[in-house]
Amino acid sequence: MRQLSEGAEAKVFETEIFGVKSVVKSRQPKAYRIKEIDEELRRTRTKKEAKAMLRAKEAGVEVPGLLALGKFSIYMERLSGKLLKDTKSKVSYAKIGVMLAKMHAANVVHGDFTPANIIIDGEKAYVIDFGLAEIGESVENKALDMLLMKRSVSQKQYKELASTYAKTYSDSKPVFARLADIERRGRYQIRSLA
Amino acid sequence: MLVIGIESSAHTFGVGIVDNGRMLANEKMMYDVGSRGMIPAKVAETHVKNASTVIKMALDKAGVTMKEIEGVGYTKGPGIGACLQIGQLSAKTIANALGVGIVPVNHAVAHVEITKHESGLKDPIALYVSGGNSQILKMADSPFKHYQILGETFDVGIGNMLDAFAREIRLKPAWGSTVAKLAEKGSYVPMPYTVKGMDFAFTGLLTYASSLAGKKSNEDLCYSIQETSFSMLCEATERALLLTNSDELEVCGGVAQSTRLQEMLRCVCKEHGFQFGAARNEYNADNGGMIAYVAERMLKDDRGEPLGRCDIQQRYRIDKAIVV
Ligand SMILES: Nc1ncnc2c1ncn2[C@@H]1O[C@H](COP(=O)(O)OP(=O)(O)O)[C@@H](O)[C@H]1O
Ligand SMILES: [Mg+2]
Repeated sequence: MRQLSEGAEAKVFETEIFGVKSVVKSRQPKAYRIKEIDEELRRTRTKKEAKAMLRAKEAGVEVPGLLALGKFSIYMERLSGKLLKDTKSKVSYAKIGVMLAKMHAANVVHGDFTPANIIIDGEKAYVIDFGLAEIGESVENKALDMLLMKRSVSQKQYKELASTYAKTYSDSKPVFARLADIERRGRYQIRSLA
Repeated sequence: MLVIGIESSAHTFGVGIVDNGRMLANEKMMYDVGSRGMIPAKVAETHVKNASTVIKMALDKAGVTMKEIEGVGYTKGPGIGACLQIGQLSAKTIANALGVGIVPVNHAVAHVEITKHESGLKDPIALYVSGGNSQILKMADSPFKHYQILGETFDVGIGNMLDAFAREIRLKPAWGSTVAKLAEKGSYVPMPYTVKGMDFAFTGLLTYASSLAGKKSNEDLCYSIQETSFSMLCEATERALLLTNSDELEVCGGVAQSTRLQEMLRCVCKEHGFQFGAARNEYNADNGGMIAYVAERMLKDDRGEPLGRCDIQQRYRIDKAIVV
């Protein structure tokens, strides 16, 4: 298996399953914590990530197809295309605004909504990495999704994205209000390191 | 430059003396927290009683006289107002009598800086863990040189959380060290775990562990609350190290005295081949030496303040303090 990446929690490998080109995202054990905590965290987070992916898909958001679920790993469809942060082609931020709106309307908060977690393949945009996702109505968390993306793109791109988000998501007003709040509070800078 | 530093943000009245970065004395007297907890007025009263004794102890230890002192530093905050005032007053009195420069110092900056100095690390991520604070920090250059907060507790500091739990099961609280003692013989009971990116929260854990008091053995509860909270700190810290591409970590503050926490953080670093450093425990506990150390550097950088502007600030956040 060729390793594609190593994050803070998981490694991602290229593989094949049922003859389909796929990737497996596997949560790694951490030697610093006791086995009981380690396995419980990896197990529940793997499940939670898969659940959020499925829920986003149901909401009409493009995500990699889920192929199989292990105790600590998720097998999913391997996408071609490039990460938004690496792509040089012209990208419709209007489309990304719609994606986020659909997720939030279904109460899926992504938790790490940055150009490192969107794959662009031709006309299509996919959301990946639901590793920090939460299912819930929290306006704060939704605003943080928006903020993270806002800080990673140009002003013009953000405007495009925000405008389709507002049009698509009927409950977007409180999210924008909270976003302004958080920006006034100040310490949000640090979340943008991803 | 011979500089005296005074620390009084909580239950310790500490006095340190440095000369060109060399620590000549680091003396202290402490208010006995016991089972009463911290009653600010009582602690301040004790500091008043101890102040001149500790200052004299430090001068004797350093082998210098008060007249030779060339600069003064004191803790401006964060801390308990009534306590901070005693150190501030002592410092201003000395500076005024001697006619030398004086500089207010951020307590958290002092912990991070003395640990950096002691460990020899260049540009570490710092995990600052004390009674009231739990933060993950990194040096940033703009708009001025300061420690940026990468992550922190959403609610209480880890030390206070462990102490509150100790009180709950009728142990004498001491920044987690009594919990640590019992934990040695415990086994694991599942507990709630809350990390969000590089931030974390402890009250859910505290409430849950307290609700099990009497139902599970104290040993098991201490073990589980400690392993869970330390794992949270380690996860957030590891994420910070990776996201910032850092390869050095220091731990500082009162809870940095925990051998278990140090062991876990060392393990995080070993996995990635990162450097790990901590100071000797006399600097992890509150102390005047670290204040003197930072004060000397600030005074040399011309950061002294006129007496009239030597204030205290209970919630003096580390990211508001200029570091030189
Ligand atoms: N379905 C996929 N198809 C193709 N590449 C993927 C897929 N999922 C992840 N990757 C690659 O693996 C990397 C890490 O995956 P991600 O889910 O973002 O994990 P992490 O939580 O470590 O960031 C991505 O940046 C991408 O390059
Ligand atoms: Mg990712």
